[in-house]
Amino acid sequence: MLNLSGVTRRYGETVALEDLNLIVPDDTYMSLLGASGAGKTTLLRLIAGFEEPNAGQISLNGERLDGKAPHRRDIGFVFQNFALFPHLTVQENVEFGLKYRETGACADPKELTERAADALQLVGLDGFGHRGVGEISGGQKQRVALARTLVTEPRIVLLDEPLGALDANLRNRMCDELRAIRERLRVSFLHVTGSETEALTMGDTVAVLSDGRIVQADGSTELFTRPHNPAAARHLNAWNLLEGTAWAGALDTSAGMLPLSRPLAEGAAAQIALRFDQLGVSDLDAVPGGRSHFTARYVTGEFNGPTALSFFRAPDGALIQVVDHLGDPRLPELTEGRSYALHYAPGDALLFEGAST
Amino acid sequence: MNTNLLKPGLAAYTGLFLLFLYGPLIVLAILSFQGPNGGPQFPVQEWSTYWYQHLFGATDTSRVSQLPVGESLLRSLVLAFMTTVVSTVLGVMSAEAFRVRFKGSGPAFYLIILGMMVPGVLVGLGMALLSNFIGVSRAWWGTAFVLHVVYTYPFAFLVMLAIFNRFDRTVEEASLSLGVSPAQTFRRVTFPIIFPGVLSAMLFSFTLSYDEFSRTLFTIGRELTLPLSIYGTFSVEIYPNLFAFGVLTTVFSFTLLVVYGLLMKRFTAVKSGSYKGQEEAA
Repeated sequence: MLNLSGVTRRYGETVALEDLNLIVPDDTYMSLLGASGAGKTTLLRLIAGFEEPNAGQISLNGERLDGKAPHRRDIGFVFQNFALFPHLTVQENVEFGLKYRETGACADPKELTERAADALQLVGLDGFGHRGVGEISGGQKQRVALARTLVTEPRIVLLDEPLGALDANLRNRMCDELRAIRERLRVSFLHVTGSETEALTMGDTVAVLSDGRIVQADGSTELFTRPHNPAAARHLNAWNLLEGTAWAGALDTSAGMLPLSRPLAEGAAAQIALRFDQLGVSDLDAVPGGRSHFTARYVTGEFNGPTALSFFRAPDGALIQVVDHLGDPRLPELTEGRSYALHYAPGDALLFEGAST
Repeated sequence: MNTNLLKPGLAAYTGLFLLFLYGPLIVLAILSFQGPNGGPQFPVQEWSTYWYQHLFGATDTSRVSQLPVGESLLRSLVLAFMTTVVSTVLGVMSAEAFRVRFKGSGPAFYLIILGMMVPGVLVGLGMALLSNFIGVSRAWWGTAFVLHVVYTYPFAFLVMLAIFNRFDRTVEEASLSLGVSPAQTFRRVTFPIIFPGVLSAMLFSFTLSYDEFSRTLFTIGRELTLPLSIYGTFSVEIYPNLFAFGVLTTVFSFTLLVVYGLLMKRFTAVKSGSYKGQEEAA
């Protein structure tokens, strides 16, 4: 179990991570979701020991990690740019750690070759050992990087946007393979990504990093359907956030008065979150019974294949998105520039107290 | 300008430039095949390799004494070699240090660079005065050697700085994360990758030291290096044996360049064949 408590990292005046707490359980695939510049890479570099925190503790299975030299931490790291050794062949790349590591180096050339071959087989690169690293494709490089790390049997593997440099098709395929490989090895993976779909697909658990802290860490379904705070909701890219002030038992938002699911003090700031796919659209005078609604102007639509996104503007200019599924369309024909009623089941709306930041 | 004329124009210009650049060398090479009775100027009276034989003492007694370059050549080579080793090691080490910003890195940088900026004659003179003052006798392996290092080290340093500038640090971090110690990481990862740069730094140091003149002039002591002993022969009279010697050293330099080129090719071409073909959906 990897345990980070109170970890803080500053660069001069800028705070990258502040009082961050995170637990990565054993034998888990955890993905870490954060916008670019949120400090995801910094977090991994602190765990790997390439940088040291200004405050806080990092421990693995109760053993203190911070302050230890990176090569004594026994933590695997897969880089976004693969970072293969350009002067070595694929086989030599994989053997490298086993051969030259400070403790537990493997001196027997036969065992070395065998273990490297096993690792290459694990990632599906049988018979590629003799190639130079310049002679293989991006996806293959990623596998070599993975094999090179896994062969040394690290206690936990950190993956820094490992699929970022691959094209979309390959990315999907690698997602499945990464999960399968991890399940066979029973070692924890901590996978950093900026893509919410990748995070949700890959992670048994997804942690959301925002403003230098972990704002929520939960199972992917739980996280997606019940984000605990606006920051988590925003990162999922599936929730509309409307902010306002509580007044007379409702929330006074830019889109009008919306009912509150629980009573708030008069004048308290709060946000209502509405999921893209739980909003319905109808003409202003035809709102289905039992549903709350507000008015917004249709701006434009975006066709994404199996889903279609429609963009609306609330009176104050806030952007509202609605997802429609092509196989099961719910939306009527929409005309650009016209106002419609956006309606939802009151139970689907989430209420977050406090003003937005 | 008409683009049809641009290319031939540039070609002619380049040709002239090269001719100008190598003209002196060509003249030297032609005159080195002067006959035994010819002088160091045109016309060439008869074609012969007399002066080459003269150089190695293979001719009968001659009115011209043999060029006194044997020992000084050896001395120059040893000095250049020593300088190369020390400057390159220093250059690599300090460039490695400059990969991270440290306190006083700015002044340190300019102090190093100063070694190649200051006028050689002045440094040489200063060194001579200093060695007199503190009572150290001047010698090619002492005072001159130190100045050669001071002069060539900035070049090696700058070459390595450029190399490290393009160096991808993540490969070193990858090695560390595999449990390999920093020392082994330098030996197994960093050094092999920067080796072409090290070769270039060595070439710079060697050639600069090998024909260094002004700094050496005041600091050499009694035993001379090659450029100085050649300069010494000017005060008597110039014979074509000097040209023959010039041709031979040029050939030697070319050999050195070829070796450098071959090593460079070997260490950069290795395993860096590029991936050709479609991204396989493997």
